[in-house]
Amino acid sequence: MERIYVFKRFERFWHWSQAALIIFLLLTGFEVHGTYTLFGFESAVAYHTTAAWTLVGLWVFAIFWHFTTGEWRQYIPTTEKVAAMFRYYLTGIFTNAPHPFKQTRLTKHNPLQRLAYLFILVLINPLIWITGWFYLFYNSWKDWGVEWLNIEYVAMFHVIGAFMMLIFLIAHVYLGTAGHTPTSHIKAMITGWEETD
Amino acid sequence: MNKLITQLGGTFSLLACLLFSANVTATVDAAPSSGAAATAAAPGEADTAKPKTGSTADHSKFEELDKDFATGPEVTEACLECHTEAAKQVQKTKHWTWEFLNPVTKQKLGKKNLVNNFCTSVRSNESFCNACHVGYGWEDDSFDFTSEVNVDCLVCHDTTGSYKKLPGLAGHPNYETMEWPPKSGKFREATDLKKIAQNVGKTSRDTCGACHFYGGGGDAVKHGDLDSSLAEPGRYLDVHMDADGLNFTCGTCHLSSSHEVSGSRYAPTAADDQGALIRGKNNDRNPTTCVACHGNAPHPGTSVSTAKLNAHTDKVACQTCHIPEFARGEIATKMTWDWSTAGKLDEQGKRIKIEGSEGRDSYDSNKGNFTYERFVIPEYVWFNGDIKYTLFGEKIAEDKVQINEFLGSADDPDSRIWPVKVFRGKQPYDIGNETLAVFHTAGNDDSAFWKNYDWDKALKTGMKTQGLEYSGQMKFVETEMSWPITHMVAPKDDALECAQCHKENGRLQAISGVYMPGRDNTPVIDRLGFTLALFALLGVILHGAVRWFMSKRS
Amino acid sequence: MIKAIAGFFVGIALVAVVALTSMQSLMFNITPSPYGVEETAARIQANIMKPEMKANGWSLSGLRDPSKAVAADGGNVLPVLLVEACSTKYSGPLLKEDTSRIFSILMPCTITVFKKDDGKTYIGTMNAGLMGKLFGVGEIMDKVAADQKVFLNFDPSEPAPPLVRVQPGGGGGGGKAAGGC
Repeated sequence: MERIYVFKRFERFWHWSQAALIIFLLLTGFEVHGTYTLFGFESAVAYHTTAAWTLVGLWVFAIFWHFTTGEWRQYIPTTEKVAAMFRYYLTGIFTNAPHPFKQTRLTKHNPLQRLAYLFILVLINPLIWITGWFYLFYNSWKDWGVEWLNIEYVAMFHVIGAFMMLIFLIAHVYLGTAGHTPTSHIKAMITGWEETD
Repeated sequence: MNKLITQLGGTFSLLACLLFSANVTATVDAAPSSGAAATAAAPGEADTAKPKTGSTADHSKFEELDKDFATGPEVTEACLECHTEAAKQVQKTKHWTWEFLNPVTKQKLGKKNLVNNFCTSVRSNESFCNACHVGYGWEDDSFDFTSEVNVDCLVCHDTTGSYKKLPGLAGHPNYETMEWPPKSGKFREATDLKKIAQNVGKTSRDTCGACHFYGGGGDAVKHGDLDSSLAEPGRYLDVHMDADGLNFTCGTCHLSSSHEVSGSRYAPTAADDQGALIRGKNNDRNPTTCVACHGNAPHPGTSVSTAKLNAHTDKVACQTCHIPEFARGEIATKMTWDWSTAGKLDEQGKRIKIEGSEGRDSYDSNKGNFTYERFVIPEYVWFNGDIKYTLFGEKIAEDKVQINEFLGSADDPDSRIWPVKVFRGKQPYDIGNETLAVFHTAGNDDSAFWKNYDWDKALKTGMKTQGLEYSGQMKFVETEMSWPITHMVAPKDDALECAQCHKENGRLQAISGVYMPGRDNTPVIDRLGFTLALFALLGVILHGAVRWFMSKRS
Repeated sequence: MIKAIAGFFVGIALVAVVALTSMQSLMFNITPSPYGVEETAARIQANIMKPEMKANGWSLSGLRDPSKAVAADGGNVLPVLLVEACSTKYSGPLLKEDTSRIFSILMPCTITVFKKDDGKTYIGTMNAGLMGKLFGVGEIMDKVAADQKVFLNFDPSEPAPPLVRVQPGGGGGGGKAAGGC
């Protein structure tokens, strides 16, 4: 057994505050969408907007941090061992087979994680941010010269982004239990220290 | 004129007069309120004998008015000795001409020309309908619209509450003691013209209301947002007119100059993006809009919610949220009128009246079936200020007629979502002429419908006034007419909540062309999204269960 | 074994969720009315006063508008009319037995008339038939349910009848009943 320090303090703060904000955004977002009533429409809109701006602020810090620390390299995709990872989640994990990926300080994400996070970074997030931005500034479309935009499609793509985020959240939370022990990943995300084989 | 006065001995039809009976009782009740309201507005100065008017003239000191006037026109003559231009000014207004040329559609509108689905037409019924004309003596086409003494100053400037123009007198008040309502055994004293003339003053909710609260033949009948409950309203009924609060009169918003009253139902300002109207700024915009005082960002504060509310003003008229329901006084407004059942009589051949659920008639032999409603939730339409009317003589093929159509659409930047009262009726249609029919309703002659209940005769006389020959064949067609809702503004706490529209089957369910979060979605995306999310959830649960099971086994 | 027990509890939870979400529609019926609130209430009252319903012991017990109480407290809500009626023929047997006297809690029979944001008027009734079955007085409550259907059967060719502003009756614990039970 070995313990390595994988998640630094800012990273952990970023992860958990982002997690809380995203869950809250999903919760309020689907209320605005008309799926259920929880906070009341007016409050849901206000909370959703405020949480979105908070997340923007958090992202500004996170981007700054990733570039100054060079941690952005952790998200460079790789095709190496992707198939092995799939095989592991489909069979090996049940038979206690060894994890095909060896976590180190320099490569803290497994190949599937890298792909998933990159997918979020380049597809889901831009989709949500851009559509959300236009959604929020609906009244400025005229000044921006984008009156040809259709709010119905903007809203639709925003919702598509939300569904993708929801599905990611489900898978992400579950795979959080797929570490060395069911709680080792979660502990690592709290303390920074990961137990590995 | 003399001919008319001699007729006042009561030679008009009992049945016809009852048309306005509800009207008269209600105005008389409301009358004393004007003085009380004015006193309440200036509590510190309430000890003076007369309510403070701000006027520099006490008309009771004028010797021109210190005489016993026999008729209204004599009073007008006296007024004009000082107010030399007043009659000329009035004669230029819709209040006098009952005509309006829509500058956009070029349609000739105004009461004189329009058809509606209440009493349907002024034509052939002038002596009754024109009790609400600001003149004396308009009983047929021979009325002299240029005569200055025919202008009625008192109907708008009376402050005593005792001046009443009675239906059937062609715009005159009663100059002699008269049984009113007819055959009621009650009597109205002769109008004290001297007292009224000596107490003239500014217009009030009572003077405007004497006609505008009673449109359509009775209290609250026509508009739904104008009725006698506004004579002295509470805060919830109208936050501006609140008698114990801001105490606005009609004229506070409907600013007037040279007797031209601003604000028009024929050419309304549906969207006003010019901001608050600055005093002294010389322009010809309509001052009778919400924006003219409140500006284009009327919701104060910087919170997300108020920013969002202000952002709604490009699509939603103020009225839509701030008049959550109309007829919010205790008085119900008429919602439907079916003329096709009119004329049923009892075994003795007498007129029948049946009291309905609102304490108003649900059936009247003279008029047919009605329904009334209070606290009515408006219908909502896109509206850019243009209204297209179906006019008399216009050929109509359908069995369902839109008497007026509010134009506008989601794509039109000048359109806003407006609340309207939609009044539905059934009324006569001339099959041969393929047009909505004019019929002669009230009068003491043989062809008046209320005299003999004979549609043929009533239609023949009515159509003639329109220059048409009645074809002899008629049917009843369904008609719809929309009225903009703009009065009875509730306090902000009673405005609509976001979720009253932003939900399924909310207030704006019928509004098309705009995406509303909470009301709209893309069903296929929602179904797909939730299905995939559910599969993901089931997938991880299953995966976890297998993992757990396998680890137990090993 | 553990799986079976877990499955059992999941099943119970699911049933509870389904029951909770459908409770309202099981206990109450909501139907739209083509008339305004006052007119709907007046037409229901007129139906209750029909001779064949009178023969079943029905009379009006009261007419309430809870929005008036809210208004007296400074709030503003849309009018809601509660039409109250009671049948001595049905309430009598229930009031006779110790075991069923508790059902007086449901007397008088209330029908509510209200508006929703779609602008329509709605009529709400208690699902009398289901209530009866649940509490073992199905026979009587089935009759109530059948009569309730008659109450909501409107004849559009008739003009609106007047609204009967009955004071809550029942004789106030003595004397002659003002109406209803």
